[in-house]
Amino acid sequence: MTPMIKVNNLHKKFGDVEVLKGIDFEVNKGDVIAVIGSSGSGKSTLLRCLIDLETADVGDIVIEGQYLMKNGTYGAPAEVRKIIGKMGMVFQHFNLFPHLNVRDNLELAPKMVKKSKKMQLLKRVEEQLKEVGLADKIDCMPSTLSGGEKQRVAIARALMMDPDILLFDEPTSALDPELTGEVLNVIQKLANNKMTMMVVTHEMAFARKVANKVLFMSDGVILEEGLPEKIFENPQNNRTKEFLCNYMQD
Amino acid sequence: MNVNYFLNVLIPMLKGGIITLTVFTATIGLSIPLGFVVTLMVMGKVKPLKAVAEFYIYVLRGTPLLLQLMFVYYGLPILPVIGQYFVFDRLTAACIAFVLNYAAYFAEIFRGGLLSIDKGQYEATKVLGLNRFQTMIKVVIPQMIRVSLPSVSNETITLVKDTALITVIGVTEILHYAKTAVNRDANNFAFLVAAMLYLLINFVLTVVFKKLEKSYDF
Ligand SMILES: Nc1ncnc2c1ncn2[C@@H]1O[C@H](COP(=O)(O)OP(=O)(O)OP(=O)(O)O)[C@@H](O)[C@H]1O
Ligand SMILES: [Mg+2]
Repeated sequence: MTPMIKVNNLHKKFGDVEVLKGIDFEVNKGDVIAVIGSSGSGKSTLLRCLIDLETADVGDIVIEGQYLMKNGTYGAPAEVRKIIGKMGMVFQHFNLFPHLNVRDNLELAPKMVKKSKKMQLLKRVEEQLKEVGLADKIDCMPSTLSGGEKQRVAIARALMMDPDILLFDEPTSALDPELTGEVLNVIQKLANNKMTMMVVTHEMAFARKVANKVLFMSDGVILEEGLPEKIFENPQNNRTKEFLCNYMQD
Repeated sequence: MNVNYFLNVLIPMLKGGIITLTVFTATIGLSIPLGFVVTLMVMGKVKPLKAVAEFYIYVLRGTPLLLQLMFVYYGLPILPVIGQYFVFDRLTAACIAFVLNYAAYFAEIFRGGLLSIDKGQYEATKVLGLNRFQTMIKVVIPQMIRVSLPSVSNETITLVKDTALITVIGVTEILHYAKTAVNRDANNFAFLVAAMLYLLINFVLTVVFKKLEKSYDF
């Protein structure tokens, strides 16, 4: 079976600073990959390269068998757009459209990009909001929602485009601790439904429970990867041990 | 002071009011879109366009509106060779000068509005598959309008008052009739009436912009 994501020898520089220094990994259908590592290790940059929010310099990125980047070169813009259309992304700061209510936030992209019909769309919006437990918020403006609700709307919005892969960049880092649970539960539910996901997170307990594979990044490389039990209980690398030690103390 | 004298002063001045409103409407209607185009040129990646737009803003904001007004009406027609193509009647010349001048100010206001939009908004539209045009229309412009509205409102009120300048190229707007009546009757009353007319226009504008700001408060 072709992997959902395959990355070979990925390098990325910002100016003279190399932030990704040769990354290789694969994501298979239904995988939930947790990406952990200290601040500045390149986790966000990696995720953003996968969906073309950053332009990488060297290597291959293959999404469902199609090259987003091959040997450091990208395809035509239309091709790139088609490939990244298979993925959705959820951001740390939600990035909801503040001038649109919840319904319009969810409808905008399907309406514009897929030209979906109005009636079907409303039904879909209602279903999707029910999925994330926010059916009653359909007419609310984003500014009236709590952080946890905003993030759940953002997840629903991403799901409206039927992505095959969902990328999460620290989806709970901007939330008050008591609100992280409701967002993590939604992600857990998606995992149960076999959604393919990559989640950059500092929630170790969550990573351990939900992920079937953990990538530990340090200084632009994947230093260690494997099953959650292996990474969390029996890390091989000293830096992994150190990182986890610091986390367990918090 | 009797009602007859009041009407005597007011009625010609209302004719002037129509001219004032014509210049005002033409300026608002044309300088806002033109200003937005200039903003896009300044913010865009095409270097020569950016340079042209920046120079335009620099010159139009850096010289007096009165000078620009006189240049369009008196100056352009006497340019060598091409001057013959730039002969305008007074009202048209006034509108051209005002549109060009106000576009430069609106361009700067809109640029501020665009800069205030979080880059996360562009990232969200990109990962959702919206193209640049859709992003502009559905996400960027509405947010830009909200941020720009108070400054646009301010600029609009300034414009109403600036229209009085066109009296110097002989356009018969409100102030022109006021001046005529004051000179004729040696009586300040007409200035008072003119002031009331400007205040009335600005009162309406203030109410309209309050409403607009409310509808863009999200
Ligand atoms: N647009 C940019 N321009 C320049 N440097 C950048 C840019 N984005 C990220 N960097 C740098 O790249 C490095 C990796 O950043 P990245 O955001 O990928 O780290 P991260 O692992 O996600 O960290 P965190 O846990 O703090 O989110 C950092 O040193 C950062 O300063
Ligand atoms: Mg990050």
